[in-house]
Amino acid sequence: MIRDITIGQYYRADSCIHKLDPRTKLIATMVYVVVLFIINDIYTYAFSIAVLAAAIILSKVPLKFIMRGIKSILFIIILTGILNLFTTRGTHILWQFGILKMTLEGAVMAAKMVVRLIILIICSSLLTLTTTPIELTDGIEYLLKPFRRFGVPAGEIAMMMSIALRFIPTLLDETDKIIKAQQARCADFDTGGLKEKAKSLIPVLVPLFISAFRRADELATAMEARCYRGGDGRTRMKNMEFGKNDYRCMIVLVLFVAITIIMMLVL
Amino acid sequence: MEEMIKTKDLKYKYKTTYEEKGKTITKEITALDDINISIKKGSFVAVLGHNGSGKSTLAKHINALVKPTSGTIWVKGMDSKDESKLWDIRQTAGMVFQNPDNQIVATIVEEDVAFGPENLGIPRDEIIKRVDAALKCVSMEKYRKNEPARLSGGQKQRVAIAGVLAMKPDCIVFDEPTAMLDPEGRKDVMETIKKLNKEENITCILITHYMNEAVQADRVIIIDDGRIVMDGTPREVFVQVDKVKGYGLDVPQATEIAYELRKKGIDIPADIMTAEEMVGAICRLK
Amino acid sequence: MPIKVDHLTHEYNPGTSMAQKAVNDVSFEIQDGEFIGLIGHTGSGKSTLIQHFNALIKPTSGKIYLDGEDINADKSKLKSVRRRVGLVFQYPEYQLFEMTVLKDVCYGPTNLGLSEGEINKAAKEALTLVGIDESYYEKSPFELSGGEKRRVAIAGILAMKPKILVLDEPAAGVDPRGRNEILEAIKKMHDETGITVIMVSHSMEDVAKYANRILVMDKGKLAMEGTPKEIFSKVDELEKIGLAAPEVSYIMRGISKKFDVPSDIFTVEEAVDAIYKMLKGDSR
Repeated sequence: MIRDITIGQYYRADSCIHKLDPRTKLIATMVYVVVLFIINDIYTYAFSIAVLAAAIILSKVPLKFIMRGIKSILFIIILTGILNLFTTRGTHILWQFGILKMTLEGAVMAAKMVVRLIILIICSSLLTLTTTPIELTDGIEYLLKPFRRFGVPAGEIAMMMSIALRFIPTLLDETDKIIKAQQARCADFDTGGLKEKAKSLIPVLVPLFISAFRRADELATAMEARCYRGGDGRTRMKNMEFGKNDYRCMIVLVLFVAITIIMMLVL
Repeated sequence: MEEMIKTKDLKYKYKTTYEEKGKTITKEITALDDINISIKKGSFVAVLGHNGSGKSTLAKHINALVKPTSGTIWVKGMDSKDESKLWDIRQTAGMVFQNPDNQIVATIVEEDVAFGPENLGIPRDEIIKRVDAALKCVSMEKYRKNEPARLSGGQKQRVAIAGVLAMKPDCIVFDEPTAMLDPEGRKDVMETIKKLNKEENITCILITHYMNEAVQADRVIIIDDGRIVMDGTPREVFVQVDKVKGYGLDVPQATEIAYELRKKGIDIPADIMTAEEMVGAICRLK
Repeated sequence: MPIKVDHLTHEYNPGTSMAQKAVNDVSFEIQDGEFIGLIGHTGSGKSTLIQHFNALIKPTSGKIYLDGEDINADKSKLKSVRRRVGLVFQYPEYQLFEMTVLKDVCYGPTNLGLSEGEINKAAKEALTLVGIDESYYEKSPFELSGGEKRRVAIAGILAMKPKILVLDEPAAGVDPRGRNEILEAIKKMHDETGITVIMVSHSMEDVAKYANRILVMDKGKLAMEGTPKEIFSKVDELEKIGLAAPEVSYIMRGISKKFDVPSDIFTVEEAVDAIYKMLKGDSR
């Protein structure tokens, strides 16, 4: 299960989405997410999902691969749904048990949040699946550049992100290994109440943290040995170039925003 | 011949704290004690010693990752305490570490190899040339677009070596590069190291626990307790079986057989290192 | 407690384009008290295979019997299976987590629900078996040397008193001294307690020295099976699948081309004896 988390993984394929400039993809993702949280009615949602679906098809990343990412955080999605379901105040009471109240407004809100969350995860997975971490880093660094005037260390932030992404699969593998090793010592992660369950995770979390620190330390040493000294003065093997496809994508993005605005005004 | 690395009275001490019976105890540990060595340009030196003997600390001094507590180390004439020479030293003396997973920075092979030159601020065209050449040198050019995570340990380690090569070093320190590899990966990495030494004339310093790797070097140094205790050609060192074993190390199996035979009173030369030499020696006895 | 593997197949990512049979129709039996060396190229399926022995992963098809019982038949017996088959992973020191050595070794027996007295006794016995003495009990496991950490981790499994001990490259990555200490501790334990040992190793020298039977895996299949003498005399076959015979056997083969010594010798001690006898002229 733990290996199914797709965030941070890169899926190699030869598609027009892969070839887009990382800056284009980053901006498109950001705009899309903002739109996602503004829109409100079912038709606009349907339209947004259709646009995302088109992007997925163009990317040549198998749908199964993207969906696996959702499966792995299903728990968080369900939790969000339940929290929204019971904490939203409203007048149309559907069901009540003690202090637990389920309202129509709550149900609508829960459905909306769950859909938003799923789309959010799909579109951010699509970004990382089609963009190598280094490309992503370069893109973020470039977009952060204007903020350097205010003391934002763009290069360092970008490097940190890229390393985090690089190590996610490694640490997931490691977690899997440690869980198995403790299971071999008859550890039980399934039974017991919440408190016992949390306690049973200590034998996994302690070795995991130690390993993460050890890796971080070794990596820092290796980077230093290879003359890394922050973002200043670094050159790049890969040049980011805005191509025809990027302009096309930008036009699609503008159209997408325009259409959603029109839809919201009309409906 | 020019000197690549030279040390004079190199000492390294650090403090460690631990708890014993509820008390916190601070102890000063001498990891390196009066190290005086000189390594010639173009040589291939194996450094042996059990874990905690100080060999890794010495390796890190060569790359200026660690500075001496007292004494001096010069890399191609540059004093590691001279801050202005720091990046020149690190470019001159590259380093390959034990765990391939913890030294690869990027998620695509060629991007990782480019990391060093990028840090040095090399122009783009030149980086591409260097990445090509480095990958070719370690026979990994077919994998340039691959993800390191999907490669075998030996392949990952060769990518790490390419990453150092792309910085055009004069010397590479290998800190147990084969410890986590399977026999095949170990062989590939050893062949790469020998090729770099012979064909590219790169000074190679190899820290290892495998005696069959050490015998391939031109010089073997044994470190114990922070001091250099043995230094010579592999033959000169391994012939002293008792002494080597006393430092918690092994000798090549052919040497061990010869040693045991001598103990039984057979007059066989003690400095046998390979199967062929063993056969030859027995021929002469019969 | 014999272990029987019957037509075991394990497929990763079944039904997808990345489907891969890591273990492919493997059958064999291991008797009580054996010392098995399991060898094979990286990716030959050794690690996948051994994780089946204590039901950490389940077969795609086929069965594993422990003492005649299918280990995957009854989920409620999972703990009992894992207690009887102790599995020591590669680099087991990375799973240490407790504040003290003794507490860490107690983790397994505690999970079994034993009484405090039994837990302590089991942990101390296990530590003694791997040669870790009392002065270490209250130390933090993270202060120890690599070889010591490794032995403490192995004790963590032994404290559950398994009948079968499975070790995945127990000596990987430690220095020669640590390597000897670990392997000798395993051998001593095997000789004294009669525990069945299954050791995965890349070192042909170690396998030749310790194992009484060898299983060779190649591309998910069981390629060869036999005593060290039987296996290592088939050097060509071994080399074809990316393995080799111990260094000594190459030395002896070289000598046997010119002199009358047996070529099927794999350890230093035997080689010394054979050459000595030959030189003294009283060979066989």
